[in-house]
Amino acid sequence: MQPTSLMKEEFLKKWQMGLQIYRPLIDNTSVSERRKAIKLSADVAMASLRRGTTCWSRALIQKTATENNFLVRQMLSGIKAETLINKKLPKVMCHRKIVRRSKKNFMRRKSRSVSEEVAAKARKLIKRKTQGLRNVVPGGEFMNNDVLLIQETLDYIVSLQTQVNVMRSIVDAAEAGIERTACYLEKLKFTIED
Amino acid sequence: MMMNGEATTEADLFLNCTDMSVLERQRAHLNNYNHHHPGFFSNSSTINCGEMDGFLASAGLDLPAIYGDTTVYSDARLSASQGNITTESGNFKKRKFGCVETETKVCNEKKKMMMYREVVVDEEEEEKSKITEQSTKNIMKMKMKNKAKKEQNSCSNDSSKVTKDSQKTDYIHVRARRGQATDSHSIAERARREKISERMKFLQDLVPGCDKITGKAGMLDEIINYVQSLQRQVEFLSMKLATVSPRLDFNIDDLFTKEAVSDPMMNLPNTVMPPHMMVNSGYPHDLVNSGYVDFNPMQQVVTSSDPLPCFNNGQASSMWDSDVQNLYSSLGV
Repeated sequence: MQPTSLMKEEFLKKWQMGLQIYRPLIDNTSVSERRKAIKLSADVAMASLRRGTTCWSRALIQKTATENNFLVRQMLSGIKAETLINKKLPKVMCHRKIVRRSKKNFMRRKSRSVSEEVAAKARKLIKRKTQGLRNVVPGGEFMNNDVLLIQETLDYIVSLQTQVNVMRSIVDAAEAGIERTACYLEKLKFTIED
Repeated sequence: MMMNGEATTEADLFLNCTDMSVLERQRAHLNNYNHHHPGFFSNSSTINCGEMDGFLASAGLDLPAIYGDTTVYSDARLSASQGNITTESGNFKKRKFGCVETETKVCNEKKKMMMYREVVVDEEEEEKSKITEQSTKNIMKMKMKNKAKKEQNSCSNDSSKVTKDSQKTDYIHVRARRGQATDSHSIAERARREKISERMKFLQDLVPGCDKITGKAGMLDEIINYVQSLQRQVEFLSMKLATVSPRLDFNIDDLFTKEAVSDPMMNLPNTVMPPHMMVNSGYPHDLVNSGYVDFNPMQQVVTSSDPLPCFNNGQASSMWDSDVQNLYSSLGV
């Protein structure tokens, strides 16, 4: 499951679209603002690749929509932006009574053997780690299902890899251009001096 | 309608294959009705022959009565099924009561087996069409098609109940190994765990350096780190891009897309393309494109009034030339 060139292409197209929309708004502004614009448009482009089929992409779109509604709306004009932005994420169901009861049960369980204790500790650790993963993946707090969480993480990682690959190659290209000109200018200097 | 076509083929099968064994006929049925299959075995995820026969018996139908000729094999199954009636779960009891009448009927008319078979087929067709209309969602793979149908046939009066049962089925294909618990909860839990471990294996392939780690906690740690590092990379790259090009103006992008289509190097993960290749192959193409020039009028001015080309005498090739121009485009000067 490596990012395919097709995915990259599509991402780049979307991203460019986003930047073009952004350009008149943010021309000749500070670096930090430009950075924010680039980041936002890249995020939306990445999320829109999935067309709202995954939980994380919907969460990401909603998050970016709160920051810059106009851009997101413009970028998602092809795929029903309204439904994506306003779509409710699944609610986390947590019955108060059940939680209380389970806590009570947990307190009652005290006499344990050593092996049980170790197993319980391991389980607790995994639970904490899973919670950490939930915090990292956008919209992870809505995935109360472990299988779903891992599936979404898989998808998210592939998308992130696509994003990073494309961005890095662009940055490299831009930097190489600058370096080459610097080099060229130096060479020119030498030739002039000669 | 589709139903009719299928029903007729099924009837044909029924009539033609008198000399087939029971199993063969079942298989034929399975092929026929693979799509509209209401699940009857919702509360038992492992299905084996004994259980199935139990269901059949509870439905109140005799195998030989329906199949006409009785092979030795089906006889044995019949006896087994009668033993199983007592072990039926409470869920099917209602249906059982409803079917007592038909059972007696079947017993009485054992001698007119061939004729009865045809009648059964007719009835089945009707039942099928009714029930498949109601239960659309359930797609379930099952071996014992035939028998389920017979069950429907016998309990025509509570067919609505049957469909209600079938609508909440979620079929899990798990088998208990030796010494493993077989109640539905533990089987479902095992299925879930299997699913998770399968996905984790995919993740292991995806996340570099994760394949050496054993244990779920370590793997989760690694995954979290990787995702965070990717996110940070995105931040860093966007920062860099913002500083490199003062305006959000990537004319390189056009080149890049063209490269991405043609260059097989892009398929490799984390491959950084040699930038000069990219620039040189893509640039002239773009220069020809008038839309490009129109798009950025500033640049046109720069390239036309560029003082630099006059300096490169002899030693600097046209490659350099295009590079400088590209620099301007990337800088957006």
